[in-house]
Amino acid sequence: MQGGLAQRAKSGNTRTLATTEPWFVRWLLISAALLFLGFFLFLPLAIVFVEAFNKGFAAYFQSFNDPDAWSAIQLTLTAAAIAVPLNLVFGVAASWCIAKFNFIGKSVLLTLIDLPFSVSPVISGLIYVLLFGLQGWMGPWLSEHNFKVIFAVPGIVLATIFVTFPFVARELIPLMEAQGKEEEEAGLVLGASGWQVFTRITLPNIKWGLLYGVILCNARAMGEFGAVSVVSGHIRGHTNTMPLHIEILYNEYNFVAAFAVASLLALLALVTLAAKSLVEWRAQRLQDTEEGVK
Amino acid sequence: MSIEVKNITKVFGTYTALNDVSLEIKTGELVALLGPSGSGKTTLLRVIAGLEHPDQGSIVFHGNETTHIHTSERNVGFVFQHYALFRHMTVFENVAFGLRVRPNSTRPPEAQIVERVMKLLKLVQLEMLAKRYPSQISGGQRQRVALARALAVEPQVLLLDEPFGALDAKVRKELRTWLRRLHDEISVTTVLVTHDQEEALEVADRVVVMNRAKIEQIGTPEEVYMHPASPFIYDFLGNVNLFHGRVSDGKLIIGNMALSLPGTHQPMENAKVFIRPHALDLAHSANGVDQLKARIMHINPAGPLVRVELKSESSDVIQVELSQERYQELAIKRGDEVYVTPRQLKIFTDDYAI
Repeated sequence: MQGGLAQRAKSGNTRTLATTEPWFVRWLLISAALLFLGFFLFLPLAIVFVEAFNKGFAAYFQSFNDPDAWSAIQLTLTAAAIAVPLNLVFGVAASWCIAKFNFIGKSVLLTLIDLPFSVSPVISGLIYVLLFGLQGWMGPWLSEHNFKVIFAVPGIVLATIFVTFPFVARELIPLMEAQGKEEEEAGLVLGASGWQVFTRITLPNIKWGLLYGVILCNARAMGEFGAVSVVSGHIRGHTNTMPLHIEILYNEYNFVAAFAVASLLALLALVTLAAKSLVEWRAQRLQDTEEGVK
Repeated sequence: MSIEVKNITKVFGTYTALNDVSLEIKTGELVALLGPSGSGKTTLLRVIAGLEHPDQGSIVFHGNETTHIHTSERNVGFVFQHYALFRHMTVFENVAFGLRVRPNSTRPPEAQIVERVMKLLKLVQLEMLAKRYPSQISGGQRQRVALARALAVEPQVLLLDEPFGALDAKVRKELRTWLRRLHDEISVTTVLVTHDQEEALEVADRVVVMNRAKIEQIGTPEEVYMHPASPFIYDFLGNVNLFHGRVSDGKLIIGNMALSLPGTHQPMENAKVFIRPHALDLAHSANGVDQLKARIMHINPAGPLVRVELKSESSDVIQVELSQERYQELAIKRGDEVYVTPRQLKIFTDDYAI
């Protein structure tokens, strides 16, 4: 008891004795967590880079000389570049409706937003095949007008949009609900139009949450495999995204090239994670200063 | 600008917030809407501001039908209970907001905006804090920023929702007197919502007492305090002792006390008798039958009035307020048996008041 108190005073620790565990329990828990992380997260990530550089730098860079690899990178970036802005607009609009207004069907809308999270991506892909495929509902009409969705870029973009649908909205809804609508009302009373209220009050208040949602949305858009795989048709140089391209290379025992492209994708993910941490840190700091003075 | 509230009804789902409420507010008046929480006072304020649409009835500003005019075109100033300052803007930008969002044709030039904002910040004694963010100033300062922001658009009506509710007692008192002075200076029609009867009685020209979606009484602070129209108001405005008794033969009977009532009275079986603590006096000896015998349970001599708590023979708790002089004169102490004399009282039955 005495020792504990002295130790607490010395280390300036404010934890109460009741919540402090003996050293071996702490040690056991921390090492278990670290081992788990190392084994399941860090090791695979390291292996991606090790395998990619297995035959030296030249072989690594040679992998990107392939026009099919370039086309895959381009397609991935295109799909993300279309899906992310669309989901950004939709996410902001949906969370605005849900957080600031009461209407019939609000819970239905909330459930719909969550749907892509709960449905397996493969099934989402299949839905689009059933809708737009040659044997699908709209297939005959589409082929009559010479417009290909399935096994073409539009299908990939659609599948990506569907899968990344909830990220922005899910991030913003709790934030907007917490902020309430008093500031917006204050703006209206002061004579601002609806658009002015949105751009000058709502948007600045949610910008960090929005950025966070966009980053997550982008990460998923670039990494999506299941849904895109179903609608893509795996046509080399045309409908292969990076994850699909990696799979093909791997199945052809072209390990260096497969891991080289994978390392690029992993790098994109790492950059995204870093950006996400930065945004989180910024937002947390802002919140701290806000609460600190209250 | 005058405001007329005509037969307003507002229902939220199954909850009626306002039930056929009518009210007239004269130009330049300061009116307080007073009532317990859930009485509909804030909803009425929001209906006047256009933040809620009434289900029935109409709002008329200065003779013009305003019910369907959008909030942003009503030219009202609204101060929210929790201020609702724009958290990402400085104090200066908060106050300037109402001017900056105006269309090009009516927006004053930048120099004029700066001048007007600084003038307002001076009025609320915050010109030193113009560059601070709302999170960096105190509650009382935020309150004043909210007021300056509302005044910046030169509103014809100023609406305040529990403006001092979230502040501590001392700041509250200061701001209250300050608001009254400000109102006398700029004389804009002001409606203030509060659940604090002291605040309403001190600041307002007229007090509107609300209860359960209805207006119970409208009158000057003196009228509503001295002549409450209902038992609810008697109870709500200040401390009051409630006795249950009956009236027969022109006498009010409470326990063993029989008090002669002036004038003639119908006999009443269930009479509710309201007596303010300061309308009761104590005596050491009985002088007749018009007194209640009681024992002193507690004395609190701190403050301008001495508060004495007694228990009558029928175990009713009686609160009495004596002046310090009277307290010295009586020389009472805890445990004493004394006689309580009412100087002024009000009797209500369900539908009749004396």
